Amino acid sequence: MTSSRSSGLAYVSLFAALVAVFGLIPKIDLPLGVPITLQTLGVMLAGCMLGPKRALQALLLFLAAVAVGLPLLSGGRGGLGVFVAPSSGYLIGFPIGALATGLLMAFLPANTPRRAAISALVASAVGGVLAIHVCGVIGLVTLAKLSWTQAFWGTLVFVPGDLIKCVLCAAVVHSVARGLPDWRFGGRSFQ
Amino acid sequence: MSSVISPSDPTPIHLDRVRLQRGTTTVFDDLTLRLNESRIGLIGDNGAGKSSLFRVICGLDKLQSGRVSVWGYDAQSRPAERVGLVGMMFQNPDDQIIFPTVEEELALSLSPNGLPRKANCQQARAVLTARGLGDWAERAIGSLSQGQRQHVCWLALMMASPKSVLLDEPFSSLDLPGRVMLDLEISKASQQVIVSTHLLDHVRGFERVIWLDKGQVRADGDGASVCAAYEADVAARCQSPHFNID
Amino acid sequence: MGSFYSDHRTWLHAVSASLKLILLAVFGTTLYVFNSTWVLLACAALCLLLFVSLGRATLPARKLLFLVLVTGLLITAFHAYLQQPLLGVVSALRLLSASLLGIALMLTTRSNDLLDVLESLLSPLNRFGVKSSALALQVALMLRFTEHFFIQWKRLDDAHRVRTGKPGGFKLLAPLTIRMLTSAQRVADALELRLPP
Repeated sequence: MTSSRSSGLAYVSLFAALVAVFGLIPKIDLPLGVPITLQTLGVMLAGCMLGPKRALQALLLFLAAVAVGLPLLSGGRGGLGVFVAPSSGYLIGFPIGALATGLLMAFLPANTPRRAAISALVASAVGGVLAIHVCGVIGLVTLAKLSWTQAFWGTLVFVPGDLIKCVLCAAVVHSVARGLPDWRFGGRSFQ
Repeated sequence: MSSVISPSDPTPIHLDRVRLQRGTTTVFDDLTLRLNESRIGLIGDNGAGKSSLFRVICGLDKLQSGRVSVWGYDAQSRPAERVGLVGMMFQNPDDQIIFPTVEEELALSLSPNGLPRKANCQQARAVLTARGLGDWAERAIGSLSQGQRQHVCWLALMMASPKSVLLDEPFSSLDLPGRVMLDLEISKASQQVIVSTHLLDHVRGFERVIWLDKGQVRADGDGASVCAAYEADVAARCQSPHFNID
Repeated sequence: MGSFYSDHRTWLHAVSASLKLILLAVFGTTLYVFNSTWVLLACAALCLLLFVSLGRATLPARKLLFLVLVTGLLITAFHAYLQQPLLGVVSALRLLSASLLGIALMLTTRSNDLLDVLESLLSPLNRFGVKSSALALQVALMLRFTEHFFIQWKRLDDAHRVRTGKPGGFKLLAPLTIRMLTSAQRVADALELRLPP
């Protein structure tokens, strides 16, 4: 039995890398004229696949790499400065969103591919979208000195794109459930 | 060229009434094996359980019942000394190489000594230079050929210096020169080497070859006769009208 | 590091990894101390100068650079929409400066050196039970998986193109995830055998 420690090392690093890769992909889709940053998809996938504890670790590892200066945040951003930028609320939202998505995925049913996909949709909508945007809005109000209304309307612009990502996340979870039938979502694989 | 295993050593590898289940499939049922010889070959069809046998010896899979002891230690208990007892080389070097450069990858094998990475990297460099591969130290793994990467895995294994070394189909991704080199390395190794392979010529000269069939020992004896028996069996199956690949 | 490391040696390659990290941290923080557009414009110009001085070494990061520029424009547009155009310009300039420095770091630093610095930086944490070597290993693994993603993506994309004549795009995400998960399991097994418990 490969120990929990070795599995943790490997999978946490894998998903930190996934979030980094999404930041490095030079492809920005613009439906409705709105930019999509793929990285929140990485956050959602981490939560659904790894469960709360390891998804949190993965995003913390990612943030640590960004803090060191690696340009892994979408748009090639990196360094300590991104943590005091107006958009840093969203950044802090990454580990929180991963945790929330993971917690939901751990509680929701996921024993068939269909159930896993629906649970992933719900978990990523609440964790990946709601949690991250709440953190983002708090950040905008405190750091960019926006009013709550301004911040609200500002963040709403990104929500349609993020909901598309939830669907993508559910689709990936569905495929993984079919391709790797032994995989237990929400961190159940690691118990 | 085989070295004699000292009679005062505990049994290198002993499987005692091992039962392994994976999902609904029973991989091994009541399997007992003593692996004392210094060069052992493992042959058989795909799915016969060769890789599973290795995994069980390393303690990577949990047994349903039975015991596996490696140099006197219980493999299932994941002893702290395991790194010095048994090591395994997986089929695909890309699956096991962690670091981007050769010296870092070799330094990982030394990490149980608790020294900082830099010190271990220097020692790795020294080992490479001693083998005439000094210029490999800073090379990116990505720039090496498949055979060279396999060689890095072999070196990493040697640097951890376990008493038993398990090689899971090491020849399959190598070209002819690569295979010749690996044969040479295996013959020079002082530890116990167990090789699982489809390329029978590499184990035909071994003192012991085990033919595994559906999780059971079908034949067990000197390399030449067991290989010949297996080949004859395969030939007979292929000619049979009901032949199908499992 | 990894696929971003450039073998074309530049003056920046010779600078030690720890020095580069310190300068990056210091300069990166000062970017956020100043709010004046002119100061930030000067900073951005300086960073651009540094970047351009690397010459041919910047080739691996062309696409990333394009991404930076587009993001800068989008940030400006976003803040204009929120009726804060000046903040948008300031943010974009900060982004540009920080990104150029970060990319320059990746292009000219071996991951091995960076990991050594990280391990020594984190070593005080050993007293609090955090294993600095484990953290350094995780960062190394993260970089390795990042590289492998692109390699696997390319392989799947090539296979897709051969069979359908079109690039794969998002359809490859699921098979790629499955591949990386199985790869991670094998890496976990290999680690299990090579690290002491």
